[in-house]
Amino acid sequence: MKKKVKKWLEDGSVDVFLGYKMVHGHPLPHCFTLEDVAEVDELIVSEARYSLEKIATHLTRQDPKIKIGLLARDCNQRAINILSVWHQLDLEKIKTLNVNCCPSNLKAHPDCSYMTVETPGAYKQQVGIDNTIDTETADAFSKEAKTIRWMYEFQKCIKCYGCRNICPVCFCTECSLEHKDLIGPGNLPPQVPIFHLVRAAHMAGRCIDCGLCEDACPMDIPLRLLYRKVNRIVKDVFDYDTGESSEQSPFSLIGDSVKLTLKPM
Amino acid sequence: MKCTFVPSVCSYCGTGCGLLFETIDGRINSTIPMKTHPVSQGKLCIKGWNLHEHINSPMRLKQPMVKTFGRFINASWEEAIQITADRFKEIIVEHGPDSVGVLVSAKMSNEENYLAQKLARAVFGTNNVDHCARL
Ligand code: SF4
Ligand code: SF4
Ligand code: SF4
Repeated sequence: MKKKVKKWLEDGSVDVFLGYKMVHGHPLPHCFTLEDVAEVDELIVSEARYSLEKIATHLTRQDPKIKIGLLARDCNQRAINILSVWHQLDLEKIKTLNVNCCPSNLKAHPDCSYMTVETPGAYKQQVGIDNTIDTETADAFSKEAKTIRWMYEFQKCIKCYGCRNICPVCFCTECSLEHKDLIGPGNLPPQVPIFHLVRAAHMAGRCIDCGLCEDACPMDIPLRLLYRKVNRIVKDVFDYDTGESSEQSPFSLIGDSVKLTLKPM
Repeated sequence: MKCTFVPSVCSYCGTGCGLLFETIDGRINSTIPMKTHPVSQGKLCIKGWNLHEHINSPMRLKQPMVKTFGRFINASWEEAIQITADRFKEIIVEHGPDSVGVLVSAKMSNEENYLAQKLARAVFGTNNVDHCARL
């Protein structure tokens, strides 16, 4: 792995390489360069995941010509695909070094921060939504129970915007979650459930199920489950597997122009 | 291009969440929560997430200003400190040491906060010391 990264930096196939390094006992993201090529010996695959591809988009915004190499788990790879679909990264300027990843049916030996899932407390199980259940179980609640349980989760929100800030595929410079007519500044909890549903709607065909948002949510809201449901619908309607490829997404098609008319009242 | 991730601690409140400053070519670009931090475990509140913003803000004061005839005028540090010391002296002589107080800031280091309370207690002679994170 280290040899390959050194080679890439030396032969100029990448200008920088985003990986991890141990700093004061913490595995932190690190940007390796040719100037400090000896540092590559300290490259590690960290158990804690950071969104390296999001950092790559920041670098690309500063210098669109930069060639970036990065360590990629499956979730990073999916995010790169989506960022390419939405023209935030150019796949020709991105080189990935694939490494082992999250718990899933496909990977028997995961290597990431999702290895230990916390069991929710008794109260949350009673009135809220258990973060660890799948979409079918969540759908099995009655209509009333669903409303009450999800609203319990949403009203805990402290509007930290962590879910948006950490999300690799949230790149908009103007965000609907800050729109004054939609969400409005100053209210806590934010407009529920609008805040969460707006974000959920925007994650259709975008969320690559990396779970970083839920990891970053101080209020332990089952965001990953919510966006999973959204993308289950995307799969059913468009037969689109979000992030599996960097091909055309049904959400980035420019169709025929239509004239919108007011609905008769 | 040089990109670094500098571990730091949020200075907005007493919790002390761990975070990283992402810098690109020497300019702070964003704040990232530190995933392995024992206190915050990769979570931040809205203040922590925006910790980098005041550093590059055009509103940031980079030199002292003294209010003269109702308007703020740029001043040198010596001037500003002298004026502050003179006014403090006047007030303390006239109304006693408990007529003044010191408000310290979460944007300062622990050591600087210590020095500020030392100034209040040992020099001014008052226990009126408080901190912005407690307001
Ligand atoms: S799981 Fe969360 S952080 Fe990851 S892509 Fe989906 S919305 Fe973004
Ligand atoms: S991370 Fe959680 S608490 Fe913060 S804004 Fe998102 S849903 Fe709300
Ligand atoms: S991120 Fe928020 S809770 Fe954490 S130290 Fe900063 S101000 Fe306090």
